[in-house]
Amino acid sequence: MNTHPLLDAKPKETHLLLGNEAIVRGALEAGVQMVTCYPGTPSSEVVDTFKRLNATDRYQMEYSINEKVAMEVACGAALGGAKSLVTMKHVGLNVAADPLFTTCYTGLPGGLVVLSADDPGCHSSQNEQDNRGYARIAHIPCFEPADAAEAHAMTIAAFDLARTLEQPVMLRTTTRISHMRGAVQFQELPSHTDLVPFKKNPGRFVPLPAVARKRHVALAEVMAKAKELSETSCFNQEHSQKQPVALGIITSGVARDYLKDALHTGNWTEQVDIFELGLTWPLPEKRLGQFLLNHSRVLVLEEGYAYLEKDIRALAQSIGASANIEGKDATLTEFGEYSHSLVVQRLATWFGVEAPLNPRRSVTPDLPNRPPNLCPGCSHRAVYYAARKIFGDSVVYASDIGCYTLGVVPPMRTADFLFCMGSSISGGSGLARVGQPVVAFIGDSTFFHSGLTGLANAVFNQHNLLLVILDNGTTAMTGHQPNPGMLQKTLGDNCTHIDIEAIIRGMGVEAVQSINAYNVRGLKQIFEQYRDLKGVRVVIAKQPCVLYAKRQLGKTQSKVAQVVQQGPETLACLKEFACPAFYLDGTDVAVDEALCAGCMVCLQIAPNSFKAVNRRA
Amino acid sequence: MSNNQRLRVYFTGVGGQGTLTATNLLARTALMVGLDVVAGEVHGMAQRGGVVESVLLLGGLKSPRLDLGEADVILGFEPLETLRGLPYLHKGGTVISSSNPLPPLSVALGQAKYPDLATIKANVTEVASRSYFVPCRDLGLLAGAIQSGNTVLLACACAAHVFPFDLEALAQGIKTFLPAKIQASNLKALELGAQEYEKLAAEKA
Repeated sequence: MNTHPLLDAKPKETHLLLGNEAIVRGALEAGVQMVTCYPGTPSSEVVDTFKRLNATDRYQMEYSINEKVAMEVACGAALGGAKSLVTMKHVGLNVAADPLFTTCYTGLPGGLVVLSADDPGCHSSQNEQDNRGYARIAHIPCFEPADAAEAHAMTIAAFDLARTLEQPVMLRTTTRISHMRGAVQFQELPSHTDLVPFKKNPGRFVPLPAVARKRHVALAEVMAKAKELSETSCFNQEHSQKQPVALGIITSGVARDYLKDALHTGNWTEQVDIFELGLTWPLPEKRLGQFLLNHSRVLVLEEGYAYLEKDIRALAQSIGASANIEGKDATLTEFGEYSHSLVVQRLATWFGVEAPLNPRRSVTPDLPNRPPNLCPGCSHRAVYYAARKIFGDSVVYASDIGCYTLGVVPPMRTADFLFCMGSSISGGSGLARVGQPVVAFIGDSTFFHSGLTGLANAVFNQHNLLLVILDNGTTAMTGHQPNPGMLQKTLGDNCTHIDIEAIIRGMGVEAVQSINAYNVRGLKQIFEQYRDLKGVRVVIAKQPCVLYAKRQLGKTQSKVAQVVQQGPETLACLKEFACPAFYLDGTDVAVDEALCAGCMVCLQIAPNSFKAVNRRA
Repeated sequence: MSNNQRLRVYFTGVGGQGTLTATNLLARTALMVGLDVVAGEVHGMAQRGGVVESVLLLGGLKSPRLDLGEADVILGFEPLETLRGLPYLHKGGTVISSSNPLPPLSVALGQAKYPDLATIKANVTEVASRSYFVPCRDLGLLAGAIQSGNTVLLACACAAHVFPFDLEALAQGIKTFLPAKIQASNLKALELGAQEYEKLAAEKA
């Protein structure tokens, strides 16, 4: 067991915590007993922190294979009476939606909190879906913190509500909240949490149609109770002026932060009443209704989709409130993130005044960009180089989710489409079926997450697909979390290694080969050999992630590459392999020793140009 | 500067430089001296050699995302990124920047040109009322580690009275919040950063 302020700090102490760390402390104070997850930005620090704390006397935890599995394991634990937490990024909840939509019928006596970390602005995601919608259609309560202190407090409240109602509860953050740091005052850690004893009750927990119909009604009763609690929740706060005012703002989530600063900027604090929502589903309709009746003009401020605005409009209609309601417009849209300036502009329009903002300066044009790139020594680059040499633009490259999506960057250009986790295999199968030759790339963790079923389908339905598994032995993109493909000795005693090649052979694939991903000549040979075969063919390109090898496995190369001869071969390697450790010194190609990871792939590509030398320091 | 003064600080640098560690050190130091603190950062794909940005808000500000023209201070850990981030500064703000470039790949491969330092400084001077360029990487190496170059920058900013706390508070922050084995190099870096500020301020006077 480790020592860590999140475990050791005394009650009443105040610490600066990341939003995600505040959730961990909140869960510990609430007595969490089971934690499951699939890592994904911006949620990953929650479970990585639980892993680091390693407080096995308090909770059990696992990195699950995917979000659906994580949700089901957590649901099972909550059914068995444990306070359970499952964490994921927003798109993960799409994967996990199936169990969620039925466990909301059965209920879960131990209490389940579902962390959905959304990513408006697509900082590291393929879409910016707003998962408050899931709370509405699954009929589960939803908390939306606006800072670290609230992330802490609402996590505690969410567990409390989940156990009181025996109903899954959503804790919904966004990238800004998960990755915001703020002061959090700690409370007492419980010495013990009770399990709610499991009692067999098929009439509740086995949703045959006759049971499900009854449980749907029971769910409505639970949500009616939740609505009463929402009316009195300390997280749903009205801030009224001493004298009645005509203007009222209803706001939720991070928009509350921007609103507070904007009111200060415009010196508007005394002109409006504010209704802040923190327990944002179900809505406290009685109080909101009264708020609508008390104001002639109401502005709804919420980042993301116009869920709240539409609910407020519907509420006004149902109670006959005549308030003029505004919300989304050309300034505050459903796209991307809100900000202080945007909210100032919106308020200024609403008040009918000039926006008190600093003039915006234009961006300096034509600066050299700094796009993310595969690291020096990353084996994906070697595989992509070999694939491009053999297939060029004659195939469609199906990519998947991980660092290797960066294959899209020139000169590799080995990513032509991507839908979601696992889509390289199944999307690639469909594309191949209608006549496109397809080479699909998937990482080891993504293969276990959503590739297995797609591969079984490809074998079963006899799709023509060349699949390359980029096996770097870890979940690199999100911070090197474990997956079943990792070596047994790095997994330790509590996880079991699963051999990828054995799975693929077990599925009946005959054309399958494992190869060192740095072996460019070998890769080219296999690609040529497999190019014209029919059916499913699989290449497993193995090489540990360089960052993982260095940081976790303690492996560094003592040799680095050096240019010994300039010429067309050297320039071609610079242009086509484009390792970030290369640079041009005048017209000469050179290698930055500090960046070179010593993979020596350049020596294979341009044997007359490079040689391996000892690293100097 | 009074303790409830609202201050928006924008940090920018390159993935792997330690920009977020520096932000966190400054934020914890601010909390230690009793200020209202919010810090924000974005992780994810940006870390793969891309631009890393973060913010520090003091004095009760809440908004975790900065807009163009809002920052009172830019702390640039790399000169090109200082220039790229310059639109975040409001007219009359302060810029403290490293003067040691880390060329992006396109520059290293000869496909793009890195703006020269004089151009960067000229652009900065047009907007900022005060600006200081410090060879953070060089001084960091002198202090014992490249990463402590970030502390050179923080110390220069402290010495320039950019924050409502002084160098002594930053030194205390280093001793309290950084791992023991890197404290000495960071305290040395703090000294070098403060000296560098005195030198630059004397040149300007």
